[in-house]
Amino acid sequence: MKASRLLGFSAFLLAVFVLVPLFIGATGRWDFFYTLTSVALLSVGAAGVWLTFYIGRINIGQGAYALVGGYVSAILVTQGGVSFWLTLPVAGLFCAVISILIGLPILRLRGVYFAMVTLVLTEVARLSALALPITNGAKGITSIPLPGELSVFGLTIIPAFGSLSNPRIGFYMMAVVLMIVTYLVLWRIVNSRLGHLCRSLQQNEELSASIGVNTAYLRVLAYAISSFFGGIAGAMFASIAQSIYPSSFVVADSVNFMLYCFLGGLGYVFGPMLGTFLLYFGWDLLSIAREYQLLIYSGVMILLMLVLPNGVLSLLDKKEGGK
Amino acid sequence: MHKRTFLKLSALAAATVLSLPLMAYAENATLKIGFVGVTSGPAAAWGISNQRSMEARAAWLNELGGVKIGDKTYNIEIVAFDDQKDPKRAIAGMEKMAQDGIHYVVGPNVDDGAAAVRPAAEQNGIMYFPYSFPKALFSPPASNAILGMVANYQSGPAIYKYLMENKGVKKVAFVAANESDPLSQRESGIAAAQALGLDVVSGNVTYQVDTTDFTPVLLPVIQAAPDLLVLSGVSPANAPQLIRSARELGYEGLISTETAQDAAVLQEGAGDLAEGFISVGGASTPELASDTMKEFVERYTKMFGEYNDESNTKVYALEYIIETLKANPAAIDNVEEYKKTIDTFEAPNPFMKGDAKLKYVGMTSFGQKRQVSVPLVVNEYKGGKFETLFVGQVD
Amino acid sequence: MEQIIANGLYLGAQYALIALGLTLIFSLMNVLNFAHGQMYVFGGFVTYTVVVQLGLPFIVGLLASAVILAIMGAVIEKFLFAPVVRRSKRDESTMLLAAGIAFFLDAVILLLFGEKQRGVPKIVNGVFNWDMRIIMPYDRILIGVLAILLIVVFIAFMNYSRAGRAMRALAQDRMAAQLMGVDVARYSMLGLALGAMLAGLVGGLLVTITGVNLGMGGPTSIKAFLMIMIGGAGVISGAIAGGFILGMMESVGLTVLSAYGDITYLVIFATLMVFLAVRPQGLMGKPWG
Repeated sequence: MKASRLLGFSAFLLAVFVLVPLFIGATGRWDFFYTLTSVALLSVGAAGVWLTFYIGRINIGQGAYALVGGYVSAILVTQGGVSFWLTLPVAGLFCAVISILIGLPILRLRGVYFAMVTLVLTEVARLSALALPITNGAKGITSIPLPGELSVFGLTIIPAFGSLSNPRIGFYMMAVVLMIVTYLVLWRIVNSRLGHLCRSLQQNEELSASIGVNTAYLRVLAYAISSFFGGIAGAMFASIAQSIYPSSFVVADSVNFMLYCFLGGLGYVFGPMLGTFLLYFGWDLLSIAREYQLLIYSGVMILLMLVLPNGVLSLLDKKEGGK
Repeated sequence: MHKRTFLKLSALAAATVLSLPLMAYAENATLKIGFVGVTSGPAAAWGISNQRSMEARAAWLNELGGVKIGDKTYNIEIVAFDDQKDPKRAIAGMEKMAQDGIHYVVGPNVDDGAAAVRPAAEQNGIMYFPYSFPKALFSPPASNAILGMVANYQSGPAIYKYLMENKGVKKVAFVAANESDPLSQRESGIAAAQALGLDVVSGNVTYQVDTTDFTPVLLPVIQAAPDLLVLSGVSPANAPQLIRSARELGYEGLISTETAQDAAVLQEGAGDLAEGFISVGGASTPELASDTMKEFVERYTKMFGEYNDESNTKVYALEYIIETLKANPAAIDNVEEYKKTIDTFEAPNPFMKGDAKLKYVGMTSFGQKRQVSVPLVVNEYKGGKFETLFVGQVD
Repeated sequence: MEQIIANGLYLGAQYALIALGLTLIFSLMNVLNFAHGQMYVFGGFVTYTVVVQLGLPFIVGLLASAVILAIMGAVIEKFLFAPVVRRSKRDESTMLLAAGIAFFLDAVILLLFGEKQRGVPKIVNGVFNWDMRIIMPYDRILIGVLAILLIVVFIAFMNYSRAGRAMRALAQDRMAAQLMGVDVARYSMLGLALGAMLAGLVGGLLVTITGVNLGMGGPTSIKAFLMIMIGGAGVISGAIAGGFILGMMESVGLTVLSAYGDITYLVIFATLMVFLAVRPQGLMGKPWG
């Protein structure tokens, strides 16, 4: 079991770091680099949403944290001259701290009530970005420099993106590394004591509280981790676009993050990754359908839900057998 | 359905979809021009009028036997990408254009998208023609973006000045949707009005784009009793409702905007209340439209069922691209050549009567020629149609 | 002051009607209908097509919207929601389905009715002007009255008809209702049909005033969500209260805060979040919906 898991993991690493670039080099589909970078980053955000689902909360507010993360990084880089690589964790932490403040009151809500408040949160984030002076309001922050060099004791770990002949590959590698780390963390959480406790929250909050689980602490912790992921995903996006606007992450993004989780399957750690890949990549590929793009996209989405209401990964469930 | 069958089917479907874009077109005399913009969702009208005007013009040119650039004749193919008004998608669209070997792209339609695609466009050697106004996009060191229309900081002052001199406007009020583009336009509008010595009596009322009743929004504005109400960056969907609410509240002054509108939409949404509404349009009013423009409107209508007046300005970008390539065939896959041609390029404007010229402008606003010269036609809505109020020029 | 209240009442009446359909669907099936706004838009376009393109009277357009949307609702329940609800492990899974339907309707609306803003010309001309204290066009008054009338009819239906009582029983306790012999499948279908019909009717009513365009769907759904959150999800009186409260908040907020400009909606939304944090079940909702 352990060996096969290790094998699978190595195969995945091989695929994303070697095979995908080789494939792109061979076919010349250079645009896939950006598409896959987006998939990787969005799946980082989706991983956070998935974690809130894991404690039984429907989170439609990840766009808010992605926006905040993007702004934190952009402001630090452009106004503070801080290295992008330092702003990345700072953006995540900033979001985590905010999410604790917001989460303490709103995490008491459940079901659709929590979902709605988080949805409003996305709009609040957009309106705040428009109104606050530090975000440069409606004009957004543009011309953000590309990530510089990251070196430790004079040893270059990541070269300056501006010096790369093709920064797309740099962003792709970076995003994939982020994604892998995120999902390793997620996987570790789920398979730890913390994960078991979270599952107990998902099933019956009163019961788990009655046997001495500190539910309030758990909820806030899970939500903070979730928002951390949202923040770093947003920061990376701001860096790729070299700009951020109040409308860079909106309600539609928040809803999409949630849909990625549903489509992949709420019961599977890697569900959001697969869901993001299918939905995002699917939309891009469907652009050949021109005016029927949205029709086909949504039609397939509905069909998938009809055939696999528990997510695409429920195909792997052996217990249920093929119906 | 058996799971295995399902898996196979999905794999098959995925493989088919993946391989489709890989199949190259055998025809070699095709010139692809890209469009990245919003063709679904609330702002769909902007992108769709864009895309359709390009497609209608391309079909027409192809019917005439194609376009001769250098010693080769090309058929024009429009490659469109719907960015859903999402800047992240817009980048993907730009990358896709690069993938298709496209060097000239029209769009995106909004500020955030235009800013987001800049790195992708510059890395891939693409000239793009956004319909968004931030000056940083067009001023050095940026050099790949060309403004596809008249910016509001250019048309606004001209309109206010005209109304000051001819209609005795003294007090002006601004309303804008709380989104980036309209708010930025409001800011530059207010600056322009103040520079002209107008009294800005209300300048901070905003509305959500999904507002269904504008009465509460406009109430404080109307109470400030302006002579001119400017709807900054108003979308064609909101314009009729705003006009209607303002008039129903008893407002009797002038109403204007610096964006392009559609007469049919105004007619349906506001009826007689829209009389006298001032907006910026292209050159399809009867006084100005050449026969080419009239035929374009006819062909567009035939192709898509209904014309959209917003296309009057949006038809120009494609024309500029083609004409500039004709002037310098080397630019067909080299935007540096294109940039060299910009400074000296001049060609007759087919859409306007008289001897109007297609040329690049923008020295005053951007310090370099990074704007297409579209006639600044200010229209007045009268009895279901637009009439030309005055025509200006941008330098 | 009078003007602010009149505006708030008018907004409230139209909001309440939208929220009613949504809350009905939610109470019966525990489905948050993401496609509610799209149904509203669809209804608006149907009325527009019948009235402007075909030249038939307004009332015919309204009826056409009601019938078409009711059928659409019934079909969606029978072939989409019911099978998914039956087979999914978690209730929330229907959210993806609902969002899929919303996208699908968006696409259909774009293909069928086009991208342009549409509107039915005013059905009544003239403006009611009470000494400059209340200014309200007659068509707005008419639509407001019609909306309130529809709300009354709906409440009467839910309280006094057999089907209405069955649906209320279903909403209260699905299991118990089933045991008492209520045909759950049938009334779920009827409930969604009714909810969709209400959305279509509002669309038809408002197309004469605000017009309609394909982008209005999503934001309308979100506004409707807000209203049922304020009043309490799944409670009919709550939806009505929520609609009127949101209408008043917008009307008052826009007037009082207009001096501070851009922050009006920020304040409204932030207030809502604080309110919900303090009172999680809304005004009248059952705890935890």
